[in-house]
Amino acid sequence: MKRTSEDGQSKLPDNTALKQQQLPAYRLQLSATGVLSCFFATGVFCLGMGIILILSAKSIKEIEIKYTKICGNCAKLREDATNFDKECTCSIPFYLSETMQGNVYMYYKLYGFYQNLYRYILSRSNSQLVGTDLKDVGNCAPFSKSHDGTPIAPCGAIANSIFNDTIILSYKLNSSIPIKVPMLRSGITWWTDKYVKFQNPSSINLSSAFAGTTKPPCWAKPVYELDGEDPGNNGFLNDDFIVWMRTAAFPTFKKLYRRLNRIQYFIEGLPAGNYSFNITYNFPVTRFKGEKSVVLSTLTWSGGSSLFLGLVYTVTGAVTWLASFSMMAVHLTLKDRKVLFIQQ
Amino acid sequence: WQVKANDRSFHEQPHFMNTRFFCIKESKYANNAIKTYKYNAFSFLPMNLFEQFKRAANFYFLILLILQAIPEISTLAWYTTLVPLLVVLGITAIKDLVDDVARHKMDNEINNRTCEVIKDGRYSFGLGDLCVMGVFCFEQADILLLSSSEPNSLCYVETAELDGETNLKFKMALEITHQYLQRENSLTTFDGFIECEEPNNRLDKFTGTLIWRNTSFPLDADKVLLRGCVIRNTDFCHGMVIFAGADTKIMKNSGKTRFKRTKIDYLMNYMVYTIFVVLILVSAGLAIGHAYWEAQVGNYSWYLYDGEDYTPSYRGFLNFWGYIIILNTMVPISLYVSVEVIRLGQSYFINWDLQMYYPEKDTPAKARTTTLNEQLGQIHYVFSDKTGTLTQNIMTFKKCCINGQIYGEWKPLPGPRACVTRQVDFSWNTFADGTLAFYDHYLTEQSQSGSSTVFLPACGLPHGHGQLNYQAASPDEGALVSAARNFGFAFLARTQNTITVSELGTERTYDVLAMLDFNSDRKRMSIIGRSPSGNDTRITEAVNEPLGSWEIATDVFASETLRTLCLCYKEIEEKEYEEWNKKFMAASVVSSNRDEALDKVYEEIEKDLILLGATAIEDKLQDGVPETISKLAKADIKIWVLTGDKKETAENIGFACELLTEDTKICYGEDIKSKILKLKFPRTEEERRMRTQSKRRLEARKEQRQKNFVDLACECSAVICCRVTPKQKAMVVDLVKRYKKAITLAIGDGANDVNMIKTAHIGVGISGQEGMQAVMSSDYSFAQFRYLQRLLLVHGRWSYIRMCKFLRYFFYKNFAFTLVHFWYSFFNGYSAQTAYEDWFITLYNVLYSSLPVLLMGLLDQDVSDKLSLRFPALYIVGQRDLLFNYKKFFVSLVHGILTSMILFFIPLGAYLQTVGQDGEAPSDYQSFAVTIASALIITVNFQIGLDTSYWTFVNAFSIFGSIALYFGIMFDFQSAGIHVLFPSAFQFTGTASNALRQPYIWLTIILTVAVCLLPVVATRFLSMTIWPSESDKIQKHRKRLKAEEQWKRRQQVFRRGVSSRRSAYAFSHQRGYADLISSGRSIRKKRSPLDAIIADGTAEYRRTVDS
Repeated sequence: MKRTSEDGQSKLPDNTALKQQQLPAYRLQLSATGVLSCFFATGVFCLGMGIILILSAKSIKEIEIKYTKICGNCAKLREDATNFDKECTCSIPFYLSETMQGNVYMYYKLYGFYQNLYRYILSRSNSQLVGTDLKDVGNCAPFSKSHDGTPIAPCGAIANSIFNDTIILSYKLNSSIPIKVPMLRSGITWWTDKYVKFQNPSSINLSSAFAGTTKPPCWAKPVYELDGEDPGNNGFLNDDFIVWMRTAAFPTFKKLYRRLNRIQYFIEGLPAGNYSFNITYNFPVTRFKGEKSVVLSTLTWSGGSSLFLGLVYTVTGAVTWLASFSMMAVHLTLKDRKVLFIQQ
Repeated sequence: WQVKANDRSFHEQPHFMNTRFFCIKESKYANNAIKTYKYNAFSFLPMNLFEQFKRAANFYFLILLILQAIPEISTLAWYTTLVPLLVVLGITAIKDLVDDVARHKMDNEINNRTCEVIKDGRYSFGLGDLCVMGVFCFEQADILLLSSSEPNSLCYVETAELDGETNLKFKMALEITHQYLQRENSLTTFDGFIECEEPNNRLDKFTGTLIWRNTSFPLDADKVLLRGCVIRNTDFCHGMVIFAGADTKIMKNSGKTRFKRTKIDYLMNYMVYTIFVVLILVSAGLAIGHAYWEAQVGNYSWYLYDGEDYTPSYRGFLNFWGYIIILNTMVPISLYVSVEVIRLGQSYFINWDLQMYYPEKDTPAKARTTTLNEQLGQIHYVFSDKTGTLTQNIMTFKKCCINGQIYGEWKPLPGPRACVTRQVDFSWNTFADGTLAFYDHYLTEQSQSGSSTVFLPACGLPHGHGQLNYQAASPDEGALVSAARNFGFAFLARTQNTITVSELGTERTYDVLAMLDFNSDRKRMSIIGRSPSGNDTRITEAVNEPLGSWEIATDVFASETLRTLCLCYKEIEEKEYEEWNKKFMAASVVSSNRDEALDKVYEEIEKDLILLGATAIEDKLQDGVPETISKLAKADIKIWVLTGDKKETAENIGFACELLTEDTKICYGEDIKSKILKLKFPRTEEERRMRTQSKRRLEARKEQRQKNFVDLACECSAVICCRVTPKQKAMVVDLVKRYKKAITLAIGDGANDVNMIKTAHIGVGISGQEGMQAVMSSDYSFAQFRYLQRLLLVHGRWSYIRMCKFLRYFFYKNFAFTLVHFWYSFFNGYSAQTAYEDWFITLYNVLYSSLPVLLMGLLDQDVSDKLSLRFPALYIVGQRDLLFNYKKFFVSLVHGILTSMILFFIPLGAYLQTVGQDGEAPSDYQSFAVTIASALIITVNFQIGLDTSYWTFVNAFSIFGSIALYFGIMFDFQSAGIHVLFPSAFQFTGTASNALRQPYIWLTIILTVAVCLLPVVATRFLSMTIWPSESDKIQKHRKRLKAEEQWKRRQQVFRRGVSSRRSAYAFSHQRGYADLISSGRSIRKKRSPLDAIIADGTAEYRRTVDS
């Protein structure tokens, strides 16, 4: 310690703004004008946004039909797993009183299905789905390998429990012959899912690519036969499969199933009239007291028909305004109060 | 403890071996290499890890890590805990490494100092080795001085490393070794045997016996060169190693320092335990929920079949651990390391503070302990030493009293220029140095006329081992000797046993027969000398107790706060002296209790003295002491002065430094003693002050009385304890600590304050006149008492506020983050599913939310330093624990819980129904996780923005930087490229880009953030308007206050009246050098050039005299 002073170096600290804690700074203080104007502005914004959201949600046409009870006998049949090979179909007619303008989307919706359960979410193999290593069935137990040890592709509980009802919407033009409403089964997934996360193993022939693997136990057909018509929709690249694999956040969820192909009668959307859903009922839900429904919906800029966000925005805006008025009142009453400092 | 010269094998004999483990034996004699470092290259990693895992928090996270490795219960990826833990361990390890490298360097430097061993060559030092040491040589062991190049084998040493005193000290070899051991060949055959005390830590004590040639010689501390001394002005000296390595006194002294912790530390620990209990309860509740859910739903869900045949309750049990793991972030992992970083930074700010830098001594303030900063903002009681702390400890001779006549007061001279204060002209005196300002001309006249010739030389005599530039053991002595010189009684030289004094031009030489040194029990020192004229032996004595009729004069001095000394003399017959001398000689070779024996002998001769007069020395108050004290008093800090002085002096210093004022009522210890006994809780007026004679108090050790004393003393606004010993000082501090549960600070500068400094919660050392011992044992040190107000009112207050804000925010932030999992579990079957991506959990505490709060903990200021000094009342928040206590903690928790609810339920509501803009259903888990995480990051970072009251560009940068960093990293981790490389580690591919494309999700995020923050703003604003705190008010009106201050300053330029204040004092507690001087050797030096240290300018006394 002595050394430095003998060397003539002073121990004088540097006079810099940082070291002297004198950095130029803005002293944040909640001034009345600042707070009140911020509150008024937020109130305006929230109210406006709330109204816009409510209006746009109101403009949406949506039809939801729960078909678990309607197709009660099918549901009963599916309660017994041994009946898996018996086909059961069910037709649900309904009347659309107003035209659904614009793009119409068809969803299936599940109630009480815990796709967000920890061990369920985990039960998949991303490296298998990306197509590089079909034998990588890491977390998939108990759906990783069949009894004879061949790896399951796609493995895991999520893939095994894929939603396998088929829903066909038909339109009764002139109340006579039902026409099948043209639906697109593509374009219902995220680009990154379809082109990054899910890839078929490279091979000339899809079935040979999946050679050495077996289908999940609940599946009726192997993965390379999901869509025989469109090779871009087959194997791991099947859109329905990809949609299912994107697990839902809550036990009640809907997933995009088809979107309307706007041709012929349906250029404007779905015209008013008689329709029916023809459902091949495969997916059992009654055992765990779940329900299934099918949803038809149009869209606006803000998405779906949920009123929630619009309502919360409106309420927030209103409360903010109330709060700012009361704060202003408090401020004005106390503004001229004398300020006394304790001691100097 | 036995040492044999030149015989290493002697010390390796089996009976000196101590068994360490079962059969590993180790010599009780330590090796000489000093080792203060903890780790070497190989042991660093394991040892450091071991040390770190001894901390409960780190160990807890290690347990978590192990839990995560169990596949059945692991609910988080392995890296979520590992990465933060590694970061935390890494930062601590780097800090330890830097510390240890510094220690290695210091050790190497010390161990490589060379000294020549006579027998075996260099470096390897063993006990009993004889060695040669040259000038500027650092001692490496405790060495018995055998002989030196100087006459009488004298050796000069500087002990700056031991006690900080830079004046030279003398060591002297035994007569016999001086005679026979001058040449090296005689040294190699030296076979003395030393028997001495076991190694201990008392630097000033050593007793031993040298047995050589069948004779025993007494050894004491003056014959031992301690490790760490530097040899000066001595060409070479020979010595024998008696203690080496860890046995040396300096190493024994460096022993364990008590680990101090702050109040907030304890509080924080309790809060972490509380959180831990909450964690277990919540996990248990959720586990039960899961068992129930499994029984009701899970068992019937075919898609959940996992092949394991567990019962629902067993699944619940597994889930308990799973929840322990995912909710572990409630106990904040980076809390402790962040707290350490903040404290370290705050300590640097103290070190860097220019306004606590003392230019005259080139001393900046230093935070020697980096873990106590926020405690500085919570001080209730300040215990201050007086001398050197409140006063400067620079003595000037002011007054004297000879034959009842007081000299030194300013009296108008007869004549026309009567009212002009004129300094006494000392120009007639060739020895005058012109430094003494003395205004009483009568004394000069008297001294010239010779009427006080007995007195003035007497002043000089007892203290006279100085030179023309006097170097005295205590500042008092220096003041006296130089005053005597200015009056014409110059102390010229001292030889082996004579003192030469120039008495008004005539040189006289006195024989010194004995020197009875000062110690604090006798409170006096004497010298027995033979006057040159005849055979009469005279004893001159300096006492600081007032005696008899002189009491009036000394009281006058004391009331003017001057330090008084009485001078007495007596003439002794030659025969009487001879008789006494025999006893004295006998006492000085006693090996045990030598000091008591000597004291007894001293008492015998120090009686029936004739009083000559008294001297009064002024000890000036340091700059700014009264201002500082009144500032601290306004901050509701109670100041107790603990001094060894007598009552009157203490009272006067109290007045001088405005601790007491004219209208305060003073209670004395004697008066209130009866009250203490009678009343359990005496009701005294607020303004009542008291003092007490603590000796009496401490004799009565009954707890009730102690408690009553403390209760009473704390009712008073100031307490002065006089006549206290160093130990009693510490006891007073301890009493207050124990009974008041208050935070105490002790400030002192001398060795006598060390005990008190170590006892108090915070010890402050003043690097002053009395050496470095106080500084070495202190937590903070600076050069002037007045810096205390800045340390407490600015740094302490800021540190406290910053730490409180930091902790409140930290708990809030972790609760807001973690409890989302809790709310989510109601919707996922209590299955321990996290609401965020694993990487987000990993990085949240490390990257996304750490920097802004750290910067706030380092830089935040609610009001500027000037205003916090101007309004000491701002300090009270810390004393009353207003900013961080259990209530605030629960408020933070509730805030965190509410935030987590908003963060979860608004997105939940938004997600239940919605679909994306392009028809895709974004109600998937991953989008939901990204939405909550984004809202959380924005909320907590904006929240810290609201908490930060001092927005520098660094803060702004860190807040927006953290948010940007979050989005950057998220987009990277969810990019296509990284998925191709690591498909299973990065599962969230594409979520950010797809989800954050939706205006709907952005609207959700904005709404969530707004709902989280608006109530906070509103409550802050309302509470600030309706119940403004002191700092709010000042902050609000700071512009007006600033203008006011400038105006005042302008006013002050015209008013300048500094009243001179004085103080009084008694002897210092140090022991003098009489033993050394009187041991019959000359301390004269051959001509030597200027001492090296004279170069640094402050040394005024280091030139040695010509012989």
